[in-house]
Parts: sequence; C-alpha cells; structure tokens
Amino acid sequence: MNDFFAALSADNLSYLLQGLGVTVGVSIFSIIISLIVGSFVGIAMFEKIPYFSSLIGTLNNIVRNLPLLLIIFFTYFSLPQVGIRLPIFWSTVVAMSFFEAAMLSEIIRGGLESIDKGQFEGARSTGMSNKQTMLYVIMPQAYKKMIPPLISQLISLVKDTSLASGIVLADLTYRGQVVYAQNSHYIVPILIFMTFAYFVVNYLLSLLAKYFDRKLA
Amino acid sequence: MSMIEFKDVEKYYGHFHALKDINLKIDAGETVVLIGPSGSGKSTLIRTVNGLEEIQEGQLIVDGYDLHDPKTDMNKIRKNVGMVFQHFNLYNNKSVLENIMLAPRLVLKRDEAENKKIAMELLERVGLADKADNMPSALSGGQKQRVAIARSLAMKPKCLLFDEPTSALDPEMVGGVLKVMREIAQDSDMTMLVVTHEMDFAKAVADRVIFMADGAILEDASTEEFFKAPKNERAKQFLSQVDSH
Repeated sequence: MNDFFAALSADNLSYLLQGLGVTVGVSIFSIIISLIVGSFVGIAMFEKIPYFSSLIGTLNNIVRNLPLLLIIFFTYFSLPQVGIRLPIFWSTVVAMSFFEAAMLSEIIRGGLESIDKGQFEGARSTGMSNKQTMLYVIMPQAYKKMIPPLISQLISLVKDTSLASGIVLADLTYRGQVVYAQNSHYIVPILIFMTFAYFVVNYLLSLLAKYFDRKLA
Repeated sequence: MSMIEFKDVEKYYGHFHALKDINLKIDAGETVVLIGPSGSGKSTLIRTVNGLEEIQEGQLIVDGYDLHDPKTDMNKIRKNVGMVFQHFNLYNNKSVLENIMLAPRLVLKRDEAENKKIAMELLERVGLADKADNMPSALSGGQKQRVAIARSLAMKPKCLLFDEPTSALDPEMVGGVLKVMREIAQDSDMTMLVVTHEMDFAKAVADRVIFMADGAILEDASTEEFFKAPKNERAKQFLSQVDSH
C-alpha cells in the first residue's frame, strides 16, 4: 500500500526540495532571459523592418513548431560538438529561453498590434519620435493587455522544465522518479507531493500576475 | 507667407488615385475649411500635411520644409503642425493632464512647472480644469475632443489641422467643441485647416472654403462667395443636399 511517511522521510524530502530548487532556478533564469529576448524579437516583428522582420518571423515560426524536448536534446548534445560545454542546468536554461522567447515574442507582437492605430497617430502628430511613442504610449498599454497570456505562457514554462528530466537534469520530476523507483509504495505519495509543489509555484506566479495587473491598471 | 503649399501633388493607394493634381496655397494665419462628400479625399489631404500619409508625386511644402524629401525630419514639422482627430486619440494610459504634458516634456523639453502651468491654463480655456486628474475613459466624447485640442495647443503650433473633429460626437456635444475652435480661430494667428460637415461653423469662421470631390479640388473660394453662389456644379449640388436637412 501507499507509504506516505517513508516516502516523505526527512532525507527524501530534502532531496526532493533540492529538485524543486533546480526547477525554480531554471524557471527564473529562463523567464528573465526569454522575456528580454522575446520583447526584442516581438518588437522587431511588429516594426516591420524590411527583410529583417520577415527573417525573424520565419525563424520564429520554425522554433515554435518544434517540440521543446527536441530543443532540449539538441542543445544538450549538439552544443558540446561546437565547443560549447555547458553544465546541464545552463544547457536547459539556454534551450528553454530559446523556445520560450519565440513563444513570448508572438504574444508581445500580438499585444502591440492590438493597440489602436489612433494611439500612434495621436502621439506622432505631437512630434514625438517613434521610440518615444512606443515607450510612453504604446508599450504601457500593450503590456497591460499581454499580462494574462504572458503569465499562462510562463506557467507552461515552469511545467515544461520537467522535460529536462529527459537529459537527467536533477529537477523535481527527475528526483521524484529516483525516489519512487526505490519502492513501488512510494509512487502515489511522491506524485501527490510533486503535484502540490508544482501547483504552489505556479499559483504564486499567477498571484504575482494579479499584483502586476492591479498595479498597471 | 504661405504656411502650406501643394504643388501638383498626386497620392495613390495602390491603384486607387486618392489625390489628383492638388494645387493649393494656404497662408499663415488663414482659417480654411475643407468640405465635400465622403470619400472625396478631404481627410487624406489633411493627413498629408503632417506626414501621416505620404504623397507619391509633386511637392508639399509645410512651414518651409519639403515633405516629399526623404531627408526631411517629420518630427520637426509635427512640432509646429498639430492635429485633432475624429476619434480624439487621447492616450488611454495617461490622465488628462498627462495627455497634455507628455509631448511638451519629451519633444520641447519644457520645464516641468511651466509645463503644468500651461497645461492647466489650456484646460481652463477648454472648460475642463476640474477633469485634470481623470482618465480619458471617464470623459464624454465632447470632453475628450476638447482635451485633444488642448493637447495640440500645448505644443504652441503654428498650424492646427482638424480632421472631422465633431463627426463622432453626439449632437449635444458638438456645440462645445465648435465654440472652442471658433475662439482659437478668432483669438490666435494660428493657421487652421478644418475638414468638417458643419456648414454654420464654416460660414462663421472660415476665410476660405475648398470643395473637393473624387480626390480633386473643384472649387476654392472665399467663404462669402462660396456659400452665396458656388460656381462648380457638384458644389451646388452638395450644398443643396446639406442644406435640405
């Protein structure tokens, strides 16, 4: 039968929580990098710079249509062949950021497109430059609209870090598997613990979203 | 001195010939009203004056700058040529006061205290000083348009363009906006170019009336002449239709 006490012994628990730390660490770095890169890519696509924007749009389309697990494998196994040796943690961050930047950039481009053209014309007609218009008028309105889809994408990101257990990143999912492999009575207790841990992290993320939403309102 | 000069200007949207051989001179300080049936190119013409629409052929000289020259810095012209839109285009993310103060702060680098003082004076002038801290969404259409006018005036432009400023307003809101516009026309030496369907406003304020149809200027006459006896057949027809309701 299920053995909750043995499965979640102090040793196992600290082992699992370290895994949660890895999951959160990969997530935080990937979120920061993909938000920055995704913003630049999204704005570049929105600005419709001749050739450049369509090139970026095409690359973006390719990346978005690949499975994330493939990108994680690719980064982990191919980067060393071109002389870039990254620890598994950073290899995962690179793969996640690459993929998520492509996903986020589409949300950001869409958010910018959703702003009424009149807002640009109003600002440009007062002599403000394109950069000033974007910075002070368009982006504040666009980012506010983007918060719900951005957060749901970032929640996906946190969940998708579990795919990196496929390259033996010692995250929560991998460590859970290690623990329940010792004893079949541990399987359900560990799965329940993992459920709870992922839920808490993502729920905190959605609370953060609500906070920003209110702050920007 | 002429503020705006069109010389043989042609404008196309793809294959559609939107402006046909426009020749027009507007002197500094003049108030000119542009009328005509919808789709006649009035809005397109007024939007070329601050570069919101590009022209394909000819010369368009505004405040001494040639707009068709790719080297011309549009922002420099727009500093002196304000625009009021049919749908107001107030910044939704800024308060009424911030809407007015933003461009002077960023473009003219106006001192913050002076900027606020000028903005409040303008709000006073359009009768909305008590709305300074409201967001645009809390205003009625007429109030939004008066704020938009104040926003344009804050740049102290030499020329102000009005693109159907009262067309999107409820009838009871129109009067307040027209009153503000009439005061600007009478109290300042600003050049005003107004696209409108308000014939009474045109009669009262305009120095000159320009009638357009199908992308071409069909008549350009003093206000008195135009309303008394338009020479062009289409213009006569248009006036009789407008008067009949």
